[in-house]
Amino acid sequence: MTVPQWVSAESGRAPLPPSTDVVVIGGGIAGAAMAYYLAKGGAEVTLIERGELNREASGTNAGSFHLQLAIHQLSGQGGDADRDRLLAEARLSVEAFAVWEGLGEELGGSVDLHRTGGWMVAETPEQLQILHDKHELEELAGIETEVVVGDDLRDRAPYLAGNLLGATYCPVEGHANPLVVAPLYAVRAAQHGAVIRTHADVRAIEVHAATGARRFTVHTGAGAIDAHRVVDCGGAWAGELAKMVGIRLPVRSEGLHVNVTEPRPRMFVPMIQHIGRRLTLKQTENDTFIIGGGWPTPTAPPPKRYPTSWHSAAGNTAVAVSVVPGLADVRVVRTWSGVIVFTNDFSPVVGESAQVPGFHACVSSTGFTFSPLFARQLAEQMLAPAATSPFPQRYSLDRVPAVATY
Amino acid sequence: MAENTFAAPDVLVVGGGPAGISAARAAAVAGLKVLLADERPTLGGQIYKQPGPGFTVTDPAAMDRQFRYGRTLIESLDGSGVDVRLRTGVVAVEDGNAVLVTEGEPARTVSAPRMILAPGAHDRPVAFPGWTLPGVITAGGLQTLAKTQRVLPGKRILFAGAGPVALAFPAQLAHYGANIVLALEAGPSPRPADILQVARAASGNTALLLDAVRYRTGLLKHRIPLRYGQIVVRAEGNGTLERVVHAAVDADWRVVPGTEQTVDVDVLCVGYGFVPSLELLRLAGCVFDYREDLGGHVVHRDDWHRTSVDGVYAAGDGAGVEGSFVAIDEGTIAGLAAAMDAGVLGKDSAAKLAAPARQRLSRRRALSTATSRMYRVGPGVFELSTEDTVICRCEVVRQRDLAPAIESTEDINVVKAYTRAGMGPCQGKNCQRHIASLIAREHGRDVSDIALATPRMPVRPVPISSIADHTIDGPGLFVAEETEVAP
Repeated sequence: MTVPQWVSAESGRAPLPPSTDVVVIGGGIAGAAMAYYLAKGGAEVTLIERGELNREASGTNAGSFHLQLAIHQLSGQGGDADRDRLLAEARLSVEAFAVWEGLGEELGGSVDLHRTGGWMVAETPEQLQILHDKHELEELAGIETEVVVGDDLRDRAPYLAGNLLGATYCPVEGHANPLVVAPLYAVRAAQHGAVIRTHADVRAIEVHAATGARRFTVHTGAGAIDAHRVVDCGGAWAGELAKMVGIRLPVRSEGLHVNVTEPRPRMFVPMIQHIGRRLTLKQTENDTFIIGGGWPTPTAPPPKRYPTSWHSAAGNTAVAVSVVPGLADVRVVRTWSGVIVFTNDFSPVVGESAQVPGFHACVSSTGFTFSPLFARQLAEQMLAPAATSPFPQRYSLDRVPAVATY
Repeated sequence: MAENTFAAPDVLVVGGGPAGISAARAAAVAGLKVLLADERPTLGGQIYKQPGPGFTVTDPAAMDRQFRYGRTLIESLDGSGVDVRLRTGVVAVEDGNAVLVTEGEPARTVSAPRMILAPGAHDRPVAFPGWTLPGVITAGGLQTLAKTQRVLPGKRILFAGAGPVALAFPAQLAHYGANIVLALEAGPSPRPADILQVARAASGNTALLLDAVRYRTGLLKHRIPLRYGQIVVRAEGNGTLERVVHAAVDADWRVVPGTEQTVDVDVLCVGYGFVPSLELLRLAGCVFDYREDLGGHVVHRDDWHRTSVDGVYAAGDGAGVEGSFVAIDEGTIAGLAAAMDAGVLGKDSAAKLAAPARQRLSRRRALSTATSRMYRVGPGVFELSTEDTVICRCEVVRQRDLAPAIESTEDINVVKAYTRAGMGPCQGKNCQRHIASLIAREHGRDVSDIALATPRMPVRPVPISSIADHTIDGPGLFVAEETEVAP
């Protein structure tokens, strides 16, 4: 194994430059990818991170990249209400996946991409119907899935519980290593000239009337920096950053609980999800099982980490063992929490604000899957606005009324 | 199922060693309803570990003194009304609740307004080349084998360690019939000034001094050579331990070049003191201090052994390694404090009842100050590893794999994320201290400044069948609880 090099602590803590073209706020996958694509395209960039790189959702998620439509995308309003959005999201997943497939080569290092295939299981007739409906949408979007039921399912996935009514299988989805992707983006960004600064928490963003280099002043705990443009890649804290310039984003954050077990002999390869209950389950390359799926944790103010929750561990593992009974004697060695951003209308927030020109955002739920794509698209737009088409209106930063000025 | 639930106690005592037993007894005698949980099949903790299930002691007089001390202590719980639950580990604490897992049974969440945490200590892990070879064992591990299973591995044992245990342990093992060919103590040999100081501090400490003399006599009796100022440098062998290289050290336990010597042995027993088991105390959110002489990170307490978290008390080696006599007295004080804070014991009565324990504690602490020159831990103990040494044995991460990550950060969590060091079944209990010291060296910091990784439950691996609760309703779809309205 070649040992990767990371952004050194010494350079991370060096003083902020007095000014730059673009300040990217947030050192997760979205921010690191933004810094990379912008710097590679020749822009002058400084990335500012409150703590260490990749410590929040980007590094604490379970590493799945999703192609199948999943429970977190369902509004509960029924198929018709969601249909257009879900179809658009399925198409987007295909594009996002294409970026992922080329990422190792792009970044010149392994992101541990594994196409394991994935099951999405159903326990009830209603859930099975959702699988059929989503299969139809996936076909339209060009995602290869199939609905598997009865003996066929038992034969192909003997590790699944006998009471499951059916499942969809998607051969191309899988996972990558969330612990290395954002740091790798950051180190390559730095090699293209981006300035990476950690331990600089943003406390205020001043918007000046002037345009040009003094359009914004970003005040941090480690000094201030002037910038022509700002990109909000704050993930779960993106709303707080936007509020500093008077923009209200349709986002909320939730703490999610994840469990990991000891390693065991290989039980299955595909990742396993549930269309009606919160479950993502995979056996990793290290042969441990990661059990997640969005069970909640309590909150805690920064810099504390969100605690994990025994209640969620008990509920989440119950779903897991009811889907894969063979997990019963496997031991959980650890739990952890991640703080994830959700958009209330299920659409991402990507682009430039019309209310506050120069202020950009790159924020999405399931950011691990989508950030490489959105960051690349937003960087292209910032580097050559005329050559790119605008983002769909439903991505707009300005789609909820602005914060009252005070 | 009545037998499957624990009645909610006034105080939950975690750990059935000397501190936990005396805490439980003191609290129960004062009138509290006490639940005492220990993950082992017998009470007594590590020091007073009793023979394992399947053994019957027919002649207590033939057993060692620690067995007899332990038996007496355990019997002191008889009739106290303490609800003792064995094979029951406390794997998580959150918001005044503790999660208890009895082997093979579903977890139970117990609500306890007060908790006395007495988790004890474990061997200070020391990573030197070859430390993961079969045949290398910790003092605690060997002690457990001897005490619970009555077996001893190997034919020729070399003991390498430091502190009180370096004297006591080889003597005890020899009692069990172990063939110890050499004992190495990293600390200096006692000087006349030290002995004088110990003697001055020793009024009322005769029991401890007697122990020390007894152990030294034990070594002489069994003809075990004891060499001071010597540290293990590396363990070697083809697939299993064949020989140990040791060398002289300076006052900081740093190896003196050119003093290496080799001894052929098939067992290396390593005992560089103990470190508190911090996991539950950290999970509970307690504030910590740093005291290298007490094992490094030690929980902050007031003189009633209250931690910084309301209702959480700490006693014994888990709150700073000072041995079983201190643990017994600390347990008593913590038990009385819980009773006083619960309102079943008046302040004056509590103070009066605690006075003898406090008096003994101050005498013993005077002695440990006197012996601190001999028993301190030198930083050189963390500098034995080389580029090729496995630091995280669970995930097989070598020192050279750690280097780029350590260069990039002072945060153990980040090193862990980049390298997987600390992600295995032991959850960093074996490697975290060493990684902290590597970070401290790289960034010119003091090891006490390097924060430990985020504490997470469960503190011990737990089977999914014990965790899973099928009565819990899932949170369902991911929809916002309320739609935001414009102001």
